[in-house]
Amino acid sequence: MAVHRRHRYNDQPEHDECISFISSRPCLAATLSASPPALACVQITKAYGGGDARVFALRGVDLTVRDGETMMIVGPSGCGKTTLLSVISTLLAPDAGQCRIFGEDILEFSEQEKEHFRLQRIGFVFQSFNLLPALSARENVAIPLLLQGISRAKALDKAKHALSDAGLPAKQHALPGALSGGQKQRIAIARALVHDPQLIICDEPTSALDHRTGQQVMERLQHLVKTFGKTLIIVTHDSRIFEYADRIAHMDDGRILDIQKKGVSKS
Amino acid sequence: MYLVAIQMLWGDRGKFLGLVLGIGFTAFLITFAMAFFAGFMTRGFALISENPSARIWVMDPAVHGTESTINLPDSALKRVQSVAGVRVALPLALGQVTARFPNGRFQSFQMIGVDSASLAGAPRLQKSRPVILHIPDSAIVDAGGTEGKLSTPLREEDQWPADGAHLEAPSRPLRTGDILLINDIRIRIIGNSHAIPRFPPRPLLYATYETVKHIKSSDPHHLTFVLVTPQPGISPDLLARRITARTGLRARTQAQFKSDTVRWYLINSEDVGDMSAMLVLAMTVGFGVTGIMLYMFTYENLRQYALLKAIGISNHKLLRMIFLQSGGSAILGSGIGIGICALSSQLIHLSGLDYPFRLMWFGPVLALAGVFLISMTAAAISAFPVMRLEPTEVLSRP
Repeated sequence: MAVHRRHRYNDQPEHDECISFISSRPCLAATLSASPPALACVQITKAYGGGDARVFALRGVDLTVRDGETMMIVGPSGCGKTTLLSVISTLLAPDAGQCRIFGEDILEFSEQEKEHFRLQRIGFVFQSFNLLPALSARENVAIPLLLQGISRAKALDKAKHALSDAGLPAKQHALPGALSGGQKQRIAIARALVHDPQLIICDEPTSALDHRTGQQVMERLQHLVKTFGKTLIIVTHDSRIFEYADRIAHMDDGRILDIQKKGVSKS
Repeated sequence: MYLVAIQMLWGDRGKFLGLVLGIGFTAFLITFAMAFFAGFMTRGFALISENPSARIWVMDPAVHGTESTINLPDSALKRVQSVAGVRVALPLALGQVTARFPNGRFQSFQMIGVDSASLAGAPRLQKSRPVILHIPDSAIVDAGGTEGKLSTPLREEDQWPADGAHLEAPSRPLRTGDILLINDIRIRIIGNSHAIPRFPPRPLLYATYETVKHIKSSDPHHLTFVLVTPQPGISPDLLARRITARTGLRARTQAQFKSDTVRWYLINSEDVGDMSAMLVLAMTVGFGVTGIMLYMFTYENLRQYALLKAIGISNHKLLRMIFLQSGGSAILGSGIGIGICALSSQLIHLSGLDYPFRLMWFGPVLALAGVFLISMTAAAISAFPVMRLEPTEVLSRP
């Protein structure tokens, strides 16, 4: 059995006893016992392919995100950021490791439970906005509510308020094709927040936007997240938005190299 | 959420229009072809329809339609009349004759010999009543769905010329008083009728049973069908079975005999075979286009389905959305196609054109069922990639 050495982060309590086996329950328990985190992943491993073509995307990743925190995961292309995000958002099952979100072991979930969990507790913001082109801004925002089974009228009403919060009260009936990139992303943010999830997951939210628009989007996102007390995990390689993070996890080659706290220079 | 599915469907107007029009065209083709088929078959059993009082048709056991017949001995009529429950049993003769026109041209006719006493089955004439058929060696002529085949020389000098045939002589349509020569017997035309056109089209000659016997005196038998009217309170079906049991002849109710005739055409007629081949071709092309378009529609929207999956929609709900999109397109497209076909039917009817076009209930039903089935199949096939779709597809893909 392989022994995995845990990375030491500049802001995490040290648990030397956590130099342990992959599926060590005490290790996870120790991680959680300090303060209940929004996210606690331990020794997450994921590989694609088989045999000689087997490629490790994640090589024993440990990550803890506190409730209400904004965590950015950064690193070069192919370092495993998106794979880690997929695991955290229950879209992808890891090969090994432990992962709890708000105390729930997501790796124990059935497919149905994962769908329910995402629908109730996670909001997504994607790089390419992913708005349904046939639906108006308000209808796009209402999608998570409609999927939850909320009546159309009520869902659209909530969506209207969410759009106002996102700063787009006048664009409710606009189709995505008629909107700018920044407006589309703000609609996507409204969609991510409309159903009041606890965790917001953003995949390269500013990569498709120019600097100024990216800043505006991040400011709006940060404002909403802080206002409503959400936990935010952002995968990005856009260094211009690092300032919005509480902590930044640097990844490379499937590992988290270090975690940098806001205002603390990278070690 | 199902409204979102519908919105996704019509969101891309061009694609949606193409899809619905493709389905509509398929439904139109099928309904149109079925209407033509029904029209042809209606003409195929026109003889049965012309004799509404004949609730039972009795014939040689080997006969399975009006198109291919063999005659019975005259005694069969008496045998049928003797069966309990028979109120009226009348003879009907059916046969082919070749008639020569006065200028020497000739034409094949189907000769229909109706009961000499009742003239049941004789067509109604506008100017005179069929009672004049009692005149010996007379006949009523009918185009039977043909055009230009019933013309006789216009000029007196071209009729029965002594110097040989005048085949190229100017002609006019046959009319009352004209003479045809059939088996060297002069048959006088006593009227033109407008009976139900035949399939295949052929000119008709209506005469009395006695006239037919006279014209075809060399034939050993002339009786093709015995037309039976049951006594009041007797079920035609029951009586038909009783006649078969007592006489050994084939007795069929009117509806059964129509079905038999249609079946005979389906099995034996090359024309119907050609029509069926065209119908199958049209259906295959239409269904193929419909299926491919529906599949492409779903396939091109994979990213949208991936988004919904990422947000948390279940595969089950996604499947229902896809089937709703396919079913909705099928119903809408079929409605347009069948509607256009119904409009065509009405226009044909109003224009007075003599097309064998009959829009019956089963045409639209079959078109709708066929299109719906194909749409559901296409939905099922296109659902596979959606079911296998990884929601991670939506991550980091500009």
